[in-house]
Amino acid sequence: MTVALNELDTKFKYDVSNEPGGENIKLCFACGLCTASCPVADIDQNFNPRRIIRMVLLGMRKEVLSSDTIWFCIQCYNCQGHCPQNVDFADIMKALRSIAVREGYVAPSFVEKIKEIDVFCQKLRHEMVSAIVDSRSRGAEVEPSGLAKEALERL
Amino acid sequence: MEKQSGNGKIGAVLVVGGGVGGIQAALDLAESGYYVYLVEKSPSIGGVMAQLDKTFPTNDCSMCILSPKLVEVASHQNVSLLTYTEIESINGEAGNFNVKLRKKATYVDWEKCTGCGVCSEWCPVVMKSEFNMGLGSRRAIYTPFPQAVPKKFVIDKEEEHLCHAACRDACPLHMNVPGYIKLIAEGQNEEAYKLIRATNPLPAICGRICYAPCQEACNRGQIDEPLAIRDLKRFVTDYTDVEKLESPTVESTGKKVAIIGAGPAGLVAAHDLALKGHKAVIFESLPKPGGMLQVGIPEYRLPKEVVRKEIEYITKLGVEIKTGVEVGKHISLGELRGEFNAIFIGVGAHQGMELRVPGENLPGVGQGVEFLRKVNLGEKIKVGRKVAIIGGGNTALDCARTAKRLGAEEVTILYRRTRAEMPASAEEITAAETEGIKIEFLVAPSRFIGDKRLSKIELIRMKLGAPDASGRPRPVPIEGSEFQLPINTVIAALGQVAKTDFVKELGILLSQRGTIEVNPGTGVTNIEGVFAGGDVVTGPAYIVDAMAAGRRAARSIDAFLHGMPLPVEEKSEPQKLTAEEIQRLKNRFGEHPQHKIEEIPVEQRKGFEEVTLGYSVKEAHEEADRCLAGQVTGCIQCLECVDRCEAKAIDHSMKDTFEEVKVGAVIFSGGFECYNPSELYELGYGRLPNVVTSIEFERILSASGPFQGVLQRLSDGVPPQKIAFIQCVGSRDAKHNRPYCSSVCCTYAIKEAMIAKEHSTVPLDVTIFFMDLRTYGKDFDRYYERAKEESGIQFVRSKVYSIEAVDSTGDLVVKFTTEDGVTKTEKFSMAVLSVGFESSPELVKLAKKVGIQLNPYGFCQTKPFSPVETSKSGIFVCGAFSAPKDIPETVMQASGAAGEVSTFLASARNTLTKEKVYPPEKDVKGEEPRIGVFICHCGINIGGYVNVPDVTEFAKTLPNVVYAERNLFTCSQDTQERIKKVIEEYKLNRVIVASCTPRTHEPLFRETIRKAGLNPYLFEMANIRDQCSWVHMREPEKATEKAKDLVKMAVAKARLIEALQPLSLPVNRSALVIGGGVAGMTSALTLAEQGFEVYLIERGNVLGGVARRIHYNLDGEDVQEFLGRLIKQIQEHPKIRVYTDTWIVDVHGYVGNFTTEIMRYRGRVIEKIDHGVTIIATGAEEYKPDEYLYGRDPRVLTQLELEEEIVRENPDITNCDNLVMIQCVGCRNDERPYCSRVCCNEAIKNALELKEMKPEMNIYILYRDIRTYGFYEVYYEEARRKGIIFLHYDLEDKPRVSQERKGGQLLLRVQVKDKVLGDEVAIDADILALSVAMVSPPEVRELAMLYKVPVNEDGFFLEAHVKLRPVDFATEGVFVCGLAHAPKSLEESIAQAKAAASRATTILVKDAIIGEGIVASVNEALCSGCGVCEVLCPYGAIAVDQEKGVSVVNEALCKGCGTCCAACPSGAVQQRGFTRKEISAMLDAALAGV
Repeated sequence: MTVALNELDTKFKYDVSNEPGGENIKLCFACGLCTASCPVADIDQNFNPRRIIRMVLLGMRKEVLSSDTIWFCIQCYNCQGHCPQNVDFADIMKALRSIAVREGYVAPSFVEKIKEIDVFCQKLRHEMVSAIVDSRSRGAEVEPSGLAKEALERL
Repeated sequence: MEKQSGNGKIGAVLVVGGGVGGIQAALDLAESGYYVYLVEKSPSIGGVMAQLDKTFPTNDCSMCILSPKLVEVASHQNVSLLTYTEIESINGEAGNFNVKLRKKATYVDWEKCTGCGVCSEWCPVVMKSEFNMGLGSRRAIYTPFPQAVPKKFVIDKEEEHLCHAACRDACPLHMNVPGYIKLIAEGQNEEAYKLIRATNPLPAICGRICYAPCQEACNRGQIDEPLAIRDLKRFVTDYTDVEKLESPTVESTGKKVAIIGAGPAGLVAAHDLALKGHKAVIFESLPKPGGMLQVGIPEYRLPKEVVRKEIEYITKLGVEIKTGVEVGKHISLGELRGEFNAIFIGVGAHQGMELRVPGENLPGVGQGVEFLRKVNLGEKIKVGRKVAIIGGGNTALDCARTAKRLGAEEVTILYRRTRAEMPASAEEITAAETEGIKIEFLVAPSRFIGDKRLSKIELIRMKLGAPDASGRPRPVPIEGSEFQLPINTVIAALGQVAKTDFVKELGILLSQRGTIEVNPGTGVTNIEGVFAGGDVVTGPAYIVDAMAAGRRAARSIDAFLHGMPLPVEEKSEPQKLTAEEIQRLKNRFGEHPQHKIEEIPVEQRKGFEEVTLGYSVKEAHEEADRCLAGQVTGCIQCLECVDRCEAKAIDHSMKDTFEEVKVGAVIFSGGFECYNPSELYELGYGRLPNVVTSIEFERILSASGPFQGVLQRLSDGVPPQKIAFIQCVGSRDAKHNRPYCSSVCCTYAIKEAMIAKEHSTVPLDVTIFFMDLRTYGKDFDRYYERAKEESGIQFVRSKVYSIEAVDSTGDLVVKFTTEDGVTKTEKFSMAVLSVGFESSPELVKLAKKVGIQLNPYGFCQTKPFSPVETSKSGIFVCGAFSAPKDIPETVMQASGAAGEVSTFLASARNTLTKEKVYPPEKDVKGEEPRIGVFICHCGINIGGYVNVPDVTEFAKTLPNVVYAERNLFTCSQDTQERIKKVIEEYKLNRVIVASCTPRTHEPLFRETIRKAGLNPYLFEMANIRDQCSWVHMREPEKATEKAKDLVKMAVAKARLIEALQPLSLPVNRSALVIGGGVAGMTSALTLAEQGFEVYLIERGNVLGGVARRIHYNLDGEDVQEFLGRLIKQIQEHPKIRVYTDTWIVDVHGYVGNFTTEIMRYRGRVIEKIDHGVTIIATGAEEYKPDEYLYGRDPRVLTQLELEEEIVRENPDITNCDNLVMIQCVGCRNDERPYCSRVCCNEAIKNALELKEMKPEMNIYILYRDIRTYGFYEVYYEEARRKGIIFLHYDLEDKPRVSQERKGGQLLLRVQVKDKVLGDEVAIDADILALSVAMVSPPEVRELAMLYKVPVNEDGFFLEAHVKLRPVDFATEGVFVCGLAHAPKSLEESIAQAKAAASRATTILVKDAIIGEGIVASVNEALCSGCGVCEVLCPYGAIAVDQEKGVSVVNEALCKGCGTCCAACPSGAVQQRGFTRKEISAMLDAALAGV
């Protein structure tokens, strides 16, 4: 597939950089540290922060804002902590999400749902960790899936 | 040049920093008529370059090429080398600065220090070596590296003294206790043994029975308990088999010494004398040697096997022991005196003292010493059931414990004082009591009772009275307190006296007690040549005291035998800690009691088995760790060095001193420091041992490094099989405030990778992880290609995220994401972090104090058109302090700064300098050759393969060789001093060095022998490295044979060589500069400003060169304005004559006297210009591309064309919407495999300019690697910030440019694969700018021929040395600068132009040039005038004199190439220094025996 750059929205990068958190997006020199440090990329090869940034820089507004990937970021800020150019990818994700909502790519309720999932996941994790912290000896033997099942029951 | 007042300016210069930049600046200035103060804070000059293993892209040994420079600058008469010196302040103004210097206390008097290094060998304090980046160790007294200049030692002192090394002072042998304890703590038990043996020939014995005064004095004893020094010594000897110890070979002096008594005093005296080459013969009356060690100390305390082994080793040294010979009975002292050159008496005190008690002669009453002697000699001795021992000393206790072991049921010690007064050691008393021995105090025998045999003893009770002569309370009998005890055996152990009747024969003075009187400092008796020591002098004392006496006497005897005055031993008193110090130590270390040595439990003690068991390894290490001296990071004032230093150079009382100097200008060349990557947690540095920095890796690779160049990783010393290099660590990292590029890391990583692969003993894979590969320097891209193609190094474009340990093996896992977005992990055995540059905090502090403007990252701020000037007038900068840079750029800038200073201070030139003065040359003509041969180990470069000691011995056997020695580094400064001394001492008249290559080192050695008064041509070099050890690494034996042959050949030649007198030629003080661009004009102006005539030749009809097409630079400066100013200055300068439209036609002459023929106005005028030097600055031009539709579509431009259009504000360009730039057009390909260096910056510059004009313009830059090195990186960041899009492509997948017709428009379509996106992208460009190669014009080859200078494969002029002589040619007097040398920025051209001028100045200031002595000469009698030589001579230096009909040599032109000599059919032409006779002699030597 050939992407015709003239047909893209080359202003997109300025829009993102005008959004809070998106300021430094243009500084990216594509070293890939964000992707290498990303726990989501570890489990999902399609989630590639560097590629998302490149798409923004080239002006692929529609493709980015409508893509599923921008919702997968878990906001762990690992990429942000390591980026040598201070490109704050986790914040850029927030910016992209808010543009996506604003421009109607997703409904606000969708965002609310995502937030709920995040909170729920946090609770679940807390429960699971508590369970193994309580009985450290047990911790080594119990599978996360088993723990999750128990935790889910408690929640 | 006549001396001038200087117009108030001072003709001296301060150079700050002794790295390669500082050295070059200093040398240039010193050669240009200025006095230089070269200030360096560390003890040696050399900087980071000295730490490097090799240099890129030639892989030359860094130290080898640097070393001659170090020596040269240090020995320059106009350089004051101030190492270990800091700058306190710089005040005043340009032309007249006051500099206050603080010379740090070295604690070593450098006037006296010979650099021998003995002090360091003995220093007990082991510290991390800064030179080896902490990977190796050094001592507290040290010199940073073997070739350090000056080769002088300094002592590293810690503010806080933790320990006074009182142990050493207390030990009568002054053993280096902290030293061996430290080695034990480090687990280096063998080394510890060696150190112990060095001062103690009976260590296993002392490790058991020494009374350990060291422990009594130990400072740790004031905190908790003293260190168990004796037990630790025993531990070391337990782990070393003395029987396997090799004995050194010592040259015999032929002197003989008789030693009477084989006890500790005699044994030590004999041992020491044997090591000095004297023959020692010991006469011992007892059947076995050892004295009290043999017959006094019981087996359970000191096994006889231990004694036997230690004595046996002494006999291995050549000491003869005659047992059963009693002097005075079997042989008289007088007879010995006749037979031997000296005598030592050490017969000890073996005579027991009588009790003087009635009944003493009853059987059953015996003497302690006699009792022990008999038992020890194996006699069967019976003791009664009840045994009483009389006495309170160690002998009494030995008797008691022995009696017990012989079967006595009840053993009682009877002592007339109390426990407190007992002279025996506390531990002996405890041991005896544990074994069930009773001690009765305050009793004394008054009568022994028995009929035929002892049955009872009568005792009297005592009380303590007033102190007696010994200071102890006198025991006073209590009247009427007598009582009796039944006893079977009494052993009296009241003390011993010496038996000295036999000495009376010679009239030796005795004391009242019967002991021999000696001088306590020397051990000499009243009779010359007779010495004494040990118990026979002192009365009963301790073993170690006797040993010390033996040593003292041996020292005196040695001096006596050499006819020298006897050395007097000085006593040092152990120092105690103060209460404050004790408290401080307690706070810091806490209290940890001694680890007690294990003993056999009492119930298990059988017979005479040794009671103590010794330490385990763990216990020993833990105990050794308690030593306070081992905890310190600085001198412990043990004063070992003071004792060891033969030159008496050490002075622990030294203080820092201050000095003020006046200078006219200052050059900052303070270099850089390497980034410490500990803060980058994920990369594992500091937490994983196998992650090292690149500079550490240099040391790991280096032959002079901590592992002698054996590649290994730190966790286990195993050679790595796979290494990862991680680029941009501490560079291009805005997050850590280092947004700049460190410029050199890419190429040095490639170098380290290549060298690692070469060094590795196992197959090694290397991967370099990088973002942009920045091999932008001259010939660096070829190097990169070689690394890929030939060395098989992998390159992965990715920034590594993390390095983690795999498991406990030390292997590492590297996590990274490739360009296509795939995250990978890969296992490596080692990782090297390519760390960036940062400025040194001290330098920043000084710069701020002086008021020099710095950039935000602490580097010196400079301006593009004045790259070596700081913000302060009169203060200049060079090297990495102005921006990260490589060695040649540093050297160029250094020369450039020197050029600038030279111009600025021209009025004060030669006002403070001195002429070089040599001693008068000795006339050696007609003398029998006396050859000295110096053979170099070159670290392991030669020594690792060639058996250098063997070659040295061989050299000594060669005819006329009167002296031969070997050196670790013959080129080091101390060796130069040594060579001079040896020439003097051995009256040498020929000198040979067998080492690396005359190419780099011959000038140094010639200079050295000249300084010793020899003609420099009385020198010969044998190349046993480049042509021997390096090429025969795998066959060391053959290499050794070849080295011998080479030395033999050199000797054969050296016997015939003669002094040569080179021509002295006057210098024409004018310069010819070829090329009227910025480089040429800058050179011309720099020289003209100093008062030299300059002819500036330009081929075109205007000045300005390629800069005419450059309008602005990245910093926003107006290039045209600068250029206009420069041209005006040139045109108006009275000393500069400009020739435009001028071509060089022919060149004659040589350095100092060139004649260049020029043709003007296309051949209408021919002129001749006489000049002393030539600077080539012919520039380069833009490549005219035939790719990417250039020339076929008007929208396709080169960058320079684009710039012109931008300046013209052509709306088609400045107002376009989509602009594409393609980088690397016509270069970095097969045809031009080099990088044009400036194009990335130029592209970014133009892109930024366009963005300034039209911010919404879409600009795409298609690149292979963005090479915005140094601070240019900041503009790359700026470009991205402005929204310029950078897309990477590979050479294999270049962009495609086509014209597409669409809707009546002819689109200019650029297509490229965007690797991050994973898709092809297409841009319809309004304008396409090509960043094209910079090419050298074809005409330069002609010019190169005329001046006999080389060009490289790409047509750029090839300098004399790519690292250290970047503007010189091998042809003297010709220099190069600017684009003619290689593509470079305007700023770099200017610096290099100034450098060329500076180098030229060093010639122009001279009154005369000394030519080469090795030239052709014609034997007119043989010459037939055939003219073959004339035809063949490439230099026009030989021609047939038509009148005389013979060839005549113009010595000034002759380069000594030898062509004429080889061609001459009649053998009339010969080359001086390489005559037929000399060469035949070499061949004969080589072929002898073949």
